[in-house]
Amino acid sequence: MALETQPEPAPHPPRLKAAVIGTGKISEEHLRFLGADPHVTLAAVCDLSPSLAKYAVARFGAQQAFTDSSQMLADARPDVVHVLTPPHTHAKLVTDALTSGAHVIVEKPVAPSNREFRDLWSLAQSRGRRIVEDHNYRFNEPVLAIEKLVAEGELGDVREVDVRMALGVRKPGGRYMDENLPHPSHRMPAGVIHEFITHLCYLALRFLPSFERVAAAWSKHGNDALFKHDDLDALVIGGPVHARIRFTSHAAPDCFSLTVRGTRGWAETDLFQPHLRVVVPRKGGQQLSPLVNHWMNGAGMMRASLSGFRNKVLQKTPYEGLRTFLDRTYTALRAGGEPPVTYDDMDRASRLVDAMLDESNRV
Amino acid sequence: MVFRDGCDLKLLVTGANGFLGRYVVAEALRRGHAVRAALRSAADVAKLGWANHPNLEIARVDLRSRRGLVDAVAGTDAVLHLAAAKSGDMYAQYAGTVVATENLLAAMTEANVRRIVVISSLSVYNYLKIPSFSLLSEDSPLETDAFQRDEYAHTKLVQERLVRDHATQNGWGFTVLRPGVIYGKDNLFTARLGMQAGRVWIRTGAWAKLPLTYVENCAEAIVLAAENDTALGQTLNVIDDDPPTQRRYAAMLRRRLSPRPVIIPVAWSVMWLLAGMAVTTNKLLFKNRAKIPGLFIPARLHARCKPLRFTNQKIKATLGWKPRYSVSESLDRSLGKSDAELTKVDTPTTAAAPVGNKAEVAA
Repeated sequence: MALETQPEPAPHPPRLKAAVIGTGKISEEHLRFLGADPHVTLAAVCDLSPSLAKYAVARFGAQQAFTDSSQMLADARPDVVHVLTPPHTHAKLVTDALTSGAHVIVEKPVAPSNREFRDLWSLAQSRGRRIVEDHNYRFNEPVLAIEKLVAEGELGDVREVDVRMALGVRKPGGRYMDENLPHPSHRMPAGVIHEFITHLCYLALRFLPSFERVAAAWSKHGNDALFKHDDLDALVIGGPVHARIRFTSHAAPDCFSLTVRGTRGWAETDLFQPHLRVVVPRKGGQQLSPLVNHWMNGAGMMRASLSGFRNKVLQKTPYEGLRTFLDRTYTALRAGGEPPVTYDDMDRASRLVDAMLDESNRV
Repeated sequence: MVFRDGCDLKLLVTGANGFLGRYVVAEALRRGHAVRAALRSAADVAKLGWANHPNLEIARVDLRSRRGLVDAVAGTDAVLHLAAAKSGDMYAQYAGTVVATENLLAAMTEANVRRIVVISSLSVYNYLKIPSFSLLSEDSPLETDAFQRDEYAHTKLVQERLVRDHATQNGWGFTVLRPGVIYGKDNLFTARLGMQAGRVWIRTGAWAKLPLTYVENCAEAIVLAAENDTALGQTLNVIDDDPPTQRRYAAMLRRRLSPRPVIIPVAWSVMWLLAGMAVTTNKLLFKNRAKIPGLFIPARLHARCKPLRFTNQKIKATLGWKPRYSVSESLDRSLGKSDAELTKVDTPTTAAAPVGNKAEVAA
């Protein structure tokens, strides 16, 4: 294999050369980070459409544009490759990038099954490279705040996790309803829900150390021929912790909520309408705690409304966590350390997806 | 002109089911041409007046994908390229306008079809550089900073350049048509008039001329461009005679509607001032990171509302085009006739051979 003759990268290179394969919608947030980060050189972008690749060059300052990913890997020799193409193309592109000697940051899901994920991971291990799956919502401020509450024991021992996404994927005229050119996610094992399920799983697994029992109800309540499923209601149990993972395209408005309940209190947020609500014992004892929680959370909601307005004006989107994720990932890659999304994080998320899709776990 | 199989020309019309495309198909058939209408798989044309015309055949393709495109193009004398995305974010409009054009040009190259009429837009000019009340013509400067403009203008600039470059490099015959505001049935309000909120119209300006072209007039110009060798290599603005002012057109339209809308006039100078304030505030308070409404971005405001004069001398001299319907007649036709009536094409006494030998070209 050619890679064995590749020279090892410098242990702490001052700047990493990044390249992006796939310059569609999701690339926008990656490229915004790469174009602005002083520790990264955006060496190249690649897309089957020359115009889209050139657009990325003009807008984000990439040094070169390619339409052939193999050519890009050979000419630009990036240290890190972002694979941002539809999931069914990941295996080849990730393999090519690893083989060229680059680390890979890849949009979720890395692979449609845990077995295929592990194959890619083995390849990365053999090459001494990293694969890092984008778990961006884990790094949104409210999620980090809930993790901090858990770590500090404010909520006690976690007993329940509820991750819920309501998304209008069946909205007429939307990208998932395009009958003329069906969205690639329709080809995935869980259909369109596969596009989002990794997010739901990795968030649940932040608070669920293991899982032994899984029951998943996959439903299709709409009549659209394109969809395999448009609703998921899953129960996942690990030790004393129960998690519910919910996706619906039939409830409105859109939401992406996370609730964590412990032996002492609970916290919840909605990443689409960011806020943090915390209900815990307060000073004043059992009698006054409900009142103090109301006051504290009321003030918190007022602050959230102001920051929501600021976010709207300053174009801060629910993808805000992606910036933190990429920043921490690049810091780790530069230092040769463990990226913020580990093998265990990715492996467990993909095993949970497999378990929910397993016929024996369906209800 | 070519004459074959009883038809003058064999024409492929992309976007044939669109607002403009359906009239272009009708006009081409009326003028004795054979038409292959490129339609997406879900497009339904059964209610259009030409649906069963013997000189028509349907090609089910989606220009965002290359599948079936070569077959759709093969055997035609020229392509009338109307397909474009008019809504959605930048990536959706890139896919529907720019990537679609890349795919079409590749298919034309493979099928050896060497004549294209591309429908661009009057929005490609640099309105900030054109003084108020001056004459806009084909010689006016083009926008140089596409990122200042909305997605539609941006992608039209890229599309036009793609066609011009590709056609020039390959020695094809090409014509670029830049229609002004195309209006007609179900499309009588225009962004150049202002904003519409139900029955309330906010008319931004009064004395600016509207570069209107009624959809049937425009369709005739497009077919003429395919018929006439004088159009080869030309760029032509498509504007009807005697463009009305914003005030006059709004009044003419309002008189014909029931219930009548309420018009709130806002002077151009006020809009100009508000845009200046918005830009200054963004610069001083938000370091240009804030998202401000499109109408308050000077380059977009000038493109929509700046008072200018227009000419259609070049297209009339080149094609011998004389717009058939006045504004008044156009409004009456738009409001008084059905789609089927407006697109009705009489069946010839002797049917000409279709473009290919199949009733429908499969994708």
